[in-house]
Amino acid sequence: MEQNLIATIDNFAVKHPDKIAYNYLGTTNTYSDLKKYSDALADYLLKLDLPKDQPIVVFGGQTFEMIATFLGVVKSGHAYIPVDTNSSLARLESINEIGQPAMYIQVEELPAEMKQVKNITQAQLNDIFTHGSFTEDIDETTFVNGNNTFYIIFTSGTTGKPKGVQISHDNLVSYVDWMHSDDFDIKSDGICLSQAPYSFDLSVMDLYPTLTAGGQLAVLPKETTENFKQLFEVLPKLHINEWVSTPSFMDICLLQPTFDETHMPELSHFVFCGEELTHATAANLKQRFPHARIFNTYGPTETTVAVTQVEITDEILEKYQRLPIGKPKADTRIVLVDEDTHEVGELDEGEIVIAGPSVSKGYINNPEKTANAFLEVEGMNAYKTGDLGQFDENGQLLYKGRLDFQVKLHGFRIELEDVDHHLGQVSLISQATTVPKYDKNHKVSQLIAYIVPEENDFDDEFKLTQAIKEELQEIMMSYMMPQRFVYVDSLPLTPNGKIDRKSLMKEVNE
Amino acid sequence: MKDQVLDILADVTGSDEVKKDLDVNIFQTGLLDSMGTVQFLLELQNQLGIDVPVSEFDRSEWETPNKIIAKVESMK
Repeated sequence: MEQNLIATIDNFAVKHPDKIAYNYLGTTNTYSDLKKYSDALADYLLKLDLPKDQPIVVFGGQTFEMIATFLGVVKSGHAYIPVDTNSSLARLESINEIGQPAMYIQVEELPAEMKQVKNITQAQLNDIFTHGSFTEDIDETTFVNGNNTFYIIFTSGTTGKPKGVQISHDNLVSYVDWMHSDDFDIKSDGICLSQAPYSFDLSVMDLYPTLTAGGQLAVLPKETTENFKQLFEVLPKLHINEWVSTPSFMDICLLQPTFDETHMPELSHFVFCGEELTHATAANLKQRFPHARIFNTYGPTETTVAVTQVEITDEILEKYQRLPIGKPKADTRIVLVDEDTHEVGELDEGEIVIAGPSVSKGYINNPEKTANAFLEVEGMNAYKTGDLGQFDENGQLLYKGRLDFQVKLHGFRIELEDVDHHLGQVSLISQATTVPKYDKNHKVSQLIAYIVPEENDFDDEFKLTQAIKEELQEIMMSYMMPQRFVYVDSLPLTPNGKIDRKSLMKEVNE
Repeated sequence: MKDQVLDILADVTGSDEVKKDLDVNIFQTGLLDSMGTVQFLLELQNQLGIDVPVSEFDRSEWETPNKIIAKVESMK
């Protein structure tokens, strides 16, 4: 990309104002709408003269107003923090405390407890979008650029405090350029599935590569993807060319026998991210869509969505029972290191360190966690992932699991200590630990909470579980909720007197 | 048939509540999420040979154990 990413989208809007940018279950918006709305919002924000280095929280679901707001915010020179409507109040409060936002924009209404923050209401936002002034003042000079932060995505963090990953304009450009390169060979202005909520960085995989190429985002909101009947009614009508999702979501789609090339002939590319793509899923998909191209990718939020890719060909399927995560993009280097951060031998296993222009500058307002995880390698910004990897003789990177107690469940990154911390805050719980249960494909299928309850009057465990869940919903994201609750009199301990999670993990997965 | 369906449901949800309260809403109570639903449909197929077309899966028709039993029996 030779120019500013936002200017690229604007230029396309000027040349092709009537091209559809967004299709939300049949309700469409054009590139001209996108430019008009975001210009009006940027103009409004610039007049507020907010402190430049403070981000703006954008609260909402998956509607067109969300992306128009993101663009309006970055046009005014601020970074945005996307926060999903399903977020718990405790998470909103943590993000507020850590992110120190200049203000909030309510695309959807904030919970009543948060209303005291400086904000633009839904009604005000609609008014700005429909009657806003479209001055000539909005030009590239105010846009986020270079090393300035474009968006901040909050991941879970240990001891319950989330971490805000700051992604700069240039981090994002490095990523988007790669998605447009021959590594994927994606048709530039096609229709791309957009299914992930915006607070999850998988959504960046469809959002910016599509909008900067003049493509269309075909949106499937959560309510639709959860109700399978509706999902399969809608899906063939979207005429999707490019598919971006977690492998878990693909597993749902593959249950539908008509999910195949005959019924969706326009589908030419599948790109997966967010969790391990299993051989079974990829092989099944290959059978259904023999002419489409399938890509597996890997990367943490801290390095901008993904940094390695491999095309899943028949040859790869034949050679690997556990699929590789591929090779790094051209501007990025992957180094495998030992405990002392020294590079390991050629075919040895080590911690994956990613160095390159898409690596974040660190966590917002958290110098300690930033210093622990970020370093410099060969003059480039680098991030220690906590993931174990190994290169094979073909130069393919193989994923070997985590160094710590972080797991992926349905694409969401969850730190087990974080879940434990939240469980520990529940009044009905005396002590608790969380254990992942793995399926035969090495994927986490369930989180199991082992709980020593406080004395209580519940006459059965289900009622106790419901009461615990109710408390947890107040303080924890719903994707972190354990699927099973097991009640015990005591938890096993290590010789040092700590809760012995590993022994429970062994027991559960034997 | 009823007991078999309830056994599968108890196994997938990890709770006996589905056997105790046949009118409990399994989605609202968080007993079953999307991936749990997928697992449940696969078990119906594996253990009972009942093939539920996923495109026919409307949440409102499957939200309690009683509704599920009625639905499965109608598909035998």
